[in-house]
Amino acid sequence: MDLFLQQIANGLVIGSTYAVVALGFALAFTVLRVINFAHPEIFMVGMFAGLVAGAQFPAGGFIGAVMLGALGAALVGFVLERTVIQPLRGRDVLSTLIGTLGVAIMLQNGMAIIAGPDPMAYPTLLPRQSIELGPVVLTVRQLANFGICLLLLAFVSFYVRKTKLGRATRAIAERPDVAAAFGINVGLVCSVTIVIASLMGGVAAVSVGTLYGSAWAFVGLLYGLKAFTCMLVAGNRYFEGVMVVGLGIGVIEALVTGYVSSSLKDAVAFFVLIGVLYFRPNGLFGSYSH
Amino acid sequence: MSAPLMRIEDLAVSYGAVPAVNGVSLEINSGELRVILGANGAGKTTIIKAILGLQKPHRGSIRFDGDVDLLKLKSHDIHALGIAWVPEARQLWNTLSVLDNLRLGGWCVDNKALVDKRIQEMFERFPRLAERRGQVAGSLSGGEQQMVAIARALISAPRLILMDEPSLGLAPLVVRDVFTLAREINRMGISVLMVEQNARAALKVASWAYLLETGQIIESGPAAEIAGKESVKEVFLGGRA
Repeated sequence: MDLFLQQIANGLVIGSTYAVVALGFALAFTVLRVINFAHPEIFMVGMFAGLVAGAQFPAGGFIGAVMLGALGAALVGFVLERTVIQPLRGRDVLSTLIGTLGVAIMLQNGMAIIAGPDPMAYPTLLPRQSIELGPVVLTVRQLANFGICLLLLAFVSFYVRKTKLGRATRAIAERPDVAAAFGINVGLVCSVTIVIASLMGGVAAVSVGTLYGSAWAFVGLLYGLKAFTCMLVAGNRYFEGVMVVGLGIGVIEALVTGYVSSSLKDAVAFFVLIGVLYFRPNGLFGSYSH
Repeated sequence: MSAPLMRIEDLAVSYGAVPAVNGVSLEINSGELRVILGANGAGKTTIIKAILGLQKPHRGSIRFDGDVDLLKLKSHDIHALGIAWVPEARQLWNTLSVLDNLRLGGWCVDNKALVDKRIQEMFERFPRLAERRGQVAGSLSGGEQQMVAIARALISAPRLILMDEPSLGLAPLVVRDVFTLAREINRMGISVLMVEQNARAALKVASWAYLLETGQIIESGPAAEIAGKESVKEVFLGGRA
């Protein structure tokens, strides 16, 4: 029973990160009709921005690194939206997919040239100590990662449901033409959406870098694939659905690691994807038909 | 005589190589209710979309309020001029609540208190919507959805409302209410440009009518006069099988 609870807790920690990155994908796909394959690389840029902040300005601590990570990611996201996504938006999905994929390759390899192709040690921004929560033991870093990701998920939920701009975001996701005809500046909301998704990715990235103690130019690859899978499994109709699936896949992965084999861990998300899409092609929570 | 509120001249719109609207000219004055009648595929919705900036014409001009060239503006700026839309088949934001649909109708109104006041007025006018304010719009009946679509268009206090087939897919009793409502809106001083297939009902509420066939206006005149024309009776009013 203890192992079960421990693995659930471990799964929620990693799943919350999948959920945050998946939400970035979902926001871009739902609102802009863009599969933003550069999003995981924006996550990676955020991770390195946090590393630089932690290493160069240690006085800033974890908070300083998170802020710089978020800022770096948001900046790259903004430039990406202005220079690649906006000019291609409105064309077929494949054009923007190839455009963002090109940016992803550039960012990945650019970072590999700057930082090297191997993982780099992350500054110690949070203590390593463990905390016992009944039968479950989690590190401070795990708890911080889980807490930060939950805060980000709560922020997105609040933003899209309770704010004027968030309502406009959902309106554009469902009927962009009607939204424009009611005075909503679709281009502006799209820019804001990409910046928010990038900002969240940057925050989560610094937290993940701190958690595992390393940053890697190719870290986006695995997180990107898993997060993209989470979005497909959930469908893009409800952002909260993407969050639930992200957490769920993290938990299933952890249970497979604990009870079956860790070598199967990375295949779990794709098994879930195949299973869900076979029975529910629009995802567990449904998709907009665009 | 003052300039019309909106004047369309020689409008031509194509979808690729297929012409949808070809050389349409029409106008609407302040406080009028005009109707464009036409069968499916005649180009009615295309005209509405061109006015809203959602479909780019390749020829012609659309001027609003004298000299504002709508073809140079983006959709969101066109709405800010005071042009609202009741789309074909309602096109509500189905996953948003009734209240959120109405709030978004007032997107361009900076004063939140004013938007809230107008939403309250809409709830008084349509008590059914007040009861369902928290319900997602997609779960409402067709008639209730049409109420939301009309209320959403009214929140911004527009000068001109474009109604695209407001009777489409509604029960006959609801259709009667919708046309009565269109007349009430017009009596509030709001100009209404309606496109419809239900000629019998539309000609009763409109002051002026245009007949659209394969993208061209083939008849226009006072609604009563148009209703009396044999050609209209044959095609739209069931005068001949």
